[in-house]
Amino acid sequence: MKSTLLKMSHICKSYPGVKAINDVSIDLFAGEVLGIMGENGAGKSTLIKLLAGAEKKDSGEIYIDEKKVDINSPKASQENGVSVIYQELITMDTLSVAENIFVGQLPVNKVTKLIDWKAAQKKSTEVLALLNSNIKPKSIVATLSVYEKQIVEVAKAIHKNAKVVVMDEPTAALSEKDSKSLFKVIENLKNQGVGIIYISHRIEEVFKISDRITVMRDGKLIATKQTKDAEKKEIISMMIGRELNQFFPEIKSEKKGVMMKVSDLNINGIIENISFEVKKGEILGIFGLVGSGCLNIARALIGVDDIDQGEIHINGKKTSIKNPKIALKNNIGFIPIDRKNEGLTLNFSVKQNLTLQSIDELGSSFIIQESIENSIAEKWVKKLDIKTPNIEVEVKTLSGGNQQKIVLGKTLEINPEILVIVEPTRGIDVGAKMDIYKMLENLCKEGVAIILVSTDVPEILSISNRVLVVSNGKIRKEFKKGEANQQELLYEASLN
Amino acid sequence: MKIIGNKITTNMSLFAFLGFLIIVFSFTSEHFLGIYNITSLLTNISYSGIAAIVLTLIIISRGLDISIGGVIGLTTVVIATLYSQSDPLPVWLILIIGLSTGALVGLLNGWCITVLNMDPIITTLGAMAITRGLAYVISDSQSILMFEDTTDFISNGTILFIPIPIILFLITALIFSIILHKSKFGRAVYAIGANETSASLSGISVKKVKMILYVLSGLAASISGIILVGQTSVGMPQHGIGTELEVITAVLLGGTALSGGKGTIYGTIAGVLILGVLFNGLTISGVRYVHLQIFQGILLLAAVATYEIKTRNEVAT
Repeated sequence: MKSTLLKMSHICKSYPGVKAINDVSIDLFAGEVLGIMGENGAGKSTLIKLLAGAEKKDSGEIYIDEKKVDINSPKASQENGVSVIYQELITMDTLSVAENIFVGQLPVNKVTKLIDWKAAQKKSTEVLALLNSNIKPKSIVATLSVYEKQIVEVAKAIHKNAKVVVMDEPTAALSEKDSKSLFKVIENLKNQGVGIIYISHRIEEVFKISDRITVMRDGKLIATKQTKDAEKKEIISMMIGRELNQFFPEIKSEKKGVMMKVSDLNINGIIENISFEVKKGEILGIFGLVGSGCLNIARALIGVDDIDQGEIHINGKKTSIKNPKIALKNNIGFIPIDRKNEGLTLNFSVKQNLTLQSIDELGSSFIIQESIENSIAEKWVKKLDIKTPNIEVEVKTLSGGNQQKIVLGKTLEINPEILVIVEPTRGIDVGAKMDIYKMLENLCKEGVAIILVSTDVPEILSISNRVLVVSNGKIRKEFKKGEANQQELLYEASLN
Repeated sequence: MKIIGNKITTNMSLFAFLGFLIIVFSFTSEHFLGIYNITSLLTNISYSGIAAIVLTLIIISRGLDISIGGVIGLTTVVIATLYSQSDPLPVWLILIIGLSTGALVGLLNGWCITVLNMDPIITTLGAMAITRGLAYVISDSQSILMFEDTTDFISNGTILFIPIPIILFLITALIFSIILHKSKFGRAVYAIGANETSASLSGISVKKVKMILYVLSGLAASISGIILVGQTSVGMPQHGIGTELEVITAVLLGGTALSGGKGTIYGTIAGVLILGVLFNGLTISGVRYVHLQIFQGILLLAAVATYEIKTRNEVAT
């Protein structure tokens, strides 16, 4: 066995009212990928924060290279060779790639003591070459894709000679292709003897790249298993503490007349001649890799992106959707891609979020009638099984799954006839996922037309009645349910 | 219930500080608690208080208006100039034109901020210079006398022994606390300040709401200007110099966050009272005006610092 790089032993951490981490011990060997899985609120992120020095543990010990270390600040963590790549990347977007990689330690000319840009660029190129990346050191980070930003973070970690690299949901915002490249990078790091802690909800991925899997639930460590001996169903049932019959519910509904007809939609340089129909009670999947334009189709349908050409008919009536307000007026509900920045107002209470799209309905005068507001909020908390102490708490204190249910409830309150949903289950736990699928099924039965934009291949194949594959701004192919498997879908999406 | 709990404690500590100031000044000056001084104190804070109430909504929406002082000056000059003509318009029309002056500036501010997407600080800084400059040009840098019954009544009249400016201030505070805390429009203001993208995706007409806020702010500044003309019987371009600083200090002191989405009318009332009591108390205790400015600056910084420290503690727990 290789040497133990990191050992976290009997770690405990409490917040007022919650035991976030309860006697958790993990170890990590050199050249190993340890996958950590668990539902939201299981304690994965807290554990990482303790390791990163962003939070202080209550008790327990941390050993690095078998030496006890005191990690009481992010700086101490970094000095001990730990590098954390957070889900919300913390790159400095207005600076260049080289400046990001060398943050705080740019090489200086020995005589003038000024920054030696040539050396910085040369070294950056070297580090990036290790990662098989051809990002230019001079590029401004803001112009990079999410994947490239991640590579910059990894390069930063390598430059700092990190021994332990933690990745928190690294593929959440990546296309399949970029995810694959990232896995190669991880493989590469492994070979150099770096230990990697890989946190993800995507079970397929974790099985593909990890050597061992640790499952956490309710702040406790449930089990650590060799990946090759583990089974997916077993891991999932450990995560949720109950047996899961199937990944996806079979969504059955009766499809009636055409609800929405889109013809020759164009956004110059982004999408081209997009035409499709959605029937009442149907789920139409739109699949494409990042940058394919499928996100822009969704945004055009809800009035965020302006269209240059094309027509949208709703219930046979031509409709111009200039802004989200008009979309809502036409009974188009939506779940935007970014839960925290677009879907929710984090400082608002559960109640205020749930009623934000339907403010006008909160009483007949200009005053908000609190009784109406409370009953709307209570209704959705119950209907969607939102786990919250009460309807007055700020939504930022809730888990991702519960937050996403609030985004859904908020838009269902307007009684949508059409629902445009983008990545509805990204980064949320299995239990909440099932609840959301169930709700979608009910909506279909009620005759709502659903347009689902998702990069989650199994999800889109399982719950859509039809899938449109988009690449380079055009619709390439249409698959009916059961016609395509994952490989075929990805193949079509990667064609230009 | 936690949010409401916090709201009360923040305002409680502000009012406790206010009580402390009152006790201190009642010792340092025997006149402080006299009925005459109290009335004059309250009358004096009313005119900037009205602007502060409306500014609270703007800051909650994550905006700012520093053209308030300039609009006050311009309004006084416009009114007094119109009145001093040999054949003046009827007074009610002059007052409407005065109010329109502020509303127009607000409309232009709002247009730049929403349509051209300009930064509110820079936009209203520009407006401040323009309005002040216009006031000097129109008045030819002179003070224009205006002895007139209506404005005199607005500023110096009483109803049931209560000076009218105080009544105007209370009415404004009441109306806007209902608008902000109880109405759909108020909810939209908070939503825009807390997260504009999400507000817009929730179907809120962000531009319309902002436009209305800046127009209201201009209107409030003009009302302050009208009160000032009555109090001083003169329209002059120097009226309202520094008022924006006073008003912003009062609002921030009241716990409204520059980062948007947070704040209350009660907090602003407390802020206005603290500032008024402090200035009045120090003045009658013999502190000179130039020194008062230093106190005001310190208070502004202290207000912001307190907020930052409090937020940091909230994040930590």
